[in-house]
Amino acid sequence: MSAPQLTSRNWLGKASAGLILGFVLALGLSGLLAWSIGVSDTFFSTKGQLAMWSISPVWCTVLSLCFLFRSGLRAWIGLGLASAVVWAALYGTGMLEGMLA
Amino acid sequence: MKVRTDIVRMYKDIHGWVGIVSGLALFVAFYAGAITMFEEPLQRWASPPSVLAPPVPLERTPELVKAVLAGHPEAAKGYQVHLQTGREQPARVSWQVDDPAGGEHGARKTFYAALDADGKLQVEERGPSPVAEFIDVLHQQVGLMLDHEIAMPIMGAISLLYAIALVSGVIVLLPSLVKDLFALRGGRNVKRMWLDVHNLLGVFSLPFHVIMALTAVVFAFHDQFYDAQGATFAQARERPAVATPPQPLSAGPIPPAALVRTLAREVPGFTPVALAYGKGPDGSLTLRAMGRDPRYGLRAPTYTPAILGPVTGRVTGADYLGGRQDGWGATITSFFALHFGSFGGAGVRWAYFLLGLGGAFLFYTGNLLWVESRRRRERKSGAVTQTRSTRVLGALTVGVPLGCISGISLTVAGAKLLGAAATLGSHSLIYHVTFFGFVFWAIVRGSARSAVELLPATALAMACIPAVTILVRSMHPAEVLLVDCVAAGAAAVLLAAWTATRRRAGFGPVDSVWSARRNAA
Repeated sequence: MSAPQLTSRNWLGKASAGLILGFVLALGLSGLLAWSIGVSDTFFSTKGQLAMWSISPVWCTVLSLCFLFRSGLRAWIGLGLASAVVWAALYGTGMLEGMLA
Repeated sequence: MKVRTDIVRMYKDIHGWVGIVSGLALFVAFYAGAITMFEEPLQRWASPPSVLAPPVPLERTPELVKAVLAGHPEAAKGYQVHLQTGREQPARVSWQVDDPAGGEHGARKTFYAALDADGKLQVEERGPSPVAEFIDVLHQQVGLMLDHEIAMPIMGAISLLYAIALVSGVIVLLPSLVKDLFALRGGRNVKRMWLDVHNLLGVFSLPFHVIMALTAVVFAFHDQFYDAQGATFAQARERPAVATPPQPLSAGPIPPAALVRTLAREVPGFTPVALAYGKGPDGSLTLRAMGRDPRYGLRAPTYTPAILGPVTGRVTGADYLGGRQDGWGATITSFFALHFGSFGGAGVRWAYFLLGLGGAFLFYTGNLLWVESRRRRERKSGAVTQTRSTRVLGALTVGVPLGCISGISLTVAGAKLLGAAATLGSHSLIYHVTFFGFVFWAIVRGSARSAVELLPATALAMACIPAVTILVRSMHPAEVLLVDCVAAGAAAVLLAAWTATRRRAGFGPVDSVWSARRNAA
């Protein structure tokens, strides 16, 4: 199939999705990481710090590559779906109980 | 490698824009950051001989501490014992209190204590030179001397742009990577030459830049990251302070000399530099040792901390202590050490110094390319005068880097003239007057003429560093002459650049913003 040409003209929609949903996604993934390595009692434990650090590379990667979406709308939908999956998984782990309580 | 042409074109646009927005701020961050690699030698170079009596021997430190606590009970909250003293750290004991007059958030005053020949307490507020600290703050806040709370998010935004610039730059280069990588084509096509330099620097220092971008994002936003996690995740909701087991109040803390012996036995290879004795809000004692081990990376720019039992002196918290930490601690420590260049000793510091300067030059060449590519476009469409944006960008590309270099040079040279009266504020004033003066001059005079005029001024500013050392050598005996040698060498390089610039302004293409032969405006 011949993909439509990508351009930098519609950057604002894509960049805003990358910035906002990229952070939501990175935060969610850091929660999954925290759950999987068992960050439990102390927040500033080295494991907890690692989970915090993991936000940066994920956020930067999403923000850099979000321009590969064809349009701003597609970027918001695509990253929104990805975030929904990650946060649903987080809910499944019980990591969100504190927030919902 | 094959990449679709529309993707390359799109990322080329993105690379240009994020680069031009963040490039000049990153120049300041990298130039100042390169200098912070030698924070300690610079502080030793800049600090005047202390008026305090020579530090007491380590064995007599308890006597000094007792005198300090009797005269200044507020020091009990936390005081430091310095095991290595010198110009840069003149006192055996120092402590900090919140500055009520400062008003500024988090401003603290430091006091330095000694015992005179009669065993009487001497307390001095004027300490070692703050110039290294000033350059560090300039580096952290990418040259924006705003309130920390305002500067950090801006710094974070610039770091994010920097990350985008790295990814987009690599994507743009991928299709021609093999062809272009080892090519450095001089000759008539100046833009080609600058592009080759930009690519060469960018690709070969890419790992360094990836580290800097990712760590800088964390340094800027860690509070927000922790807050977001704390507000969201069940397990992360509580933020208990580092737990310290309650101490029997009857026992006093272990004296420094005994502690040094305990540490030598318990953690061989670890050289303690300073000991921080403190008292928590509940009255429990705390003790931390700051030190180095050349075999391991350090958690802080110049030391790594170890938490100790205040009475026993045994290590109770080894998260950042190389050789004693677990894999998680080693991983976190490595993130910091990779940013600070605090591993591998002097060789790595010099490498980081050069990589930092190379990074600053990378952003400078990026700006040059932006100006040059604008110029070509204008020539194609028949216009011979440069647009205002090209002229202003061209002028800033001269004014900001040279203003930053000169400002730092003069504020460093000023450290020796100001002597003990130097404050962060006075260093900031010298820097900013110079910096904005240069930027203003560049905008008023245009890039071509201002480059010819500001380059020798920058060389002169750089030469002030060794000149001041010679000038005040009787009052302020010289130490760390390497600082003067490097500055003199840099002044010579700037003079060589001046010669080349004069030639270009006189004989280069007339339609360039760099030509002075006809009014570039």
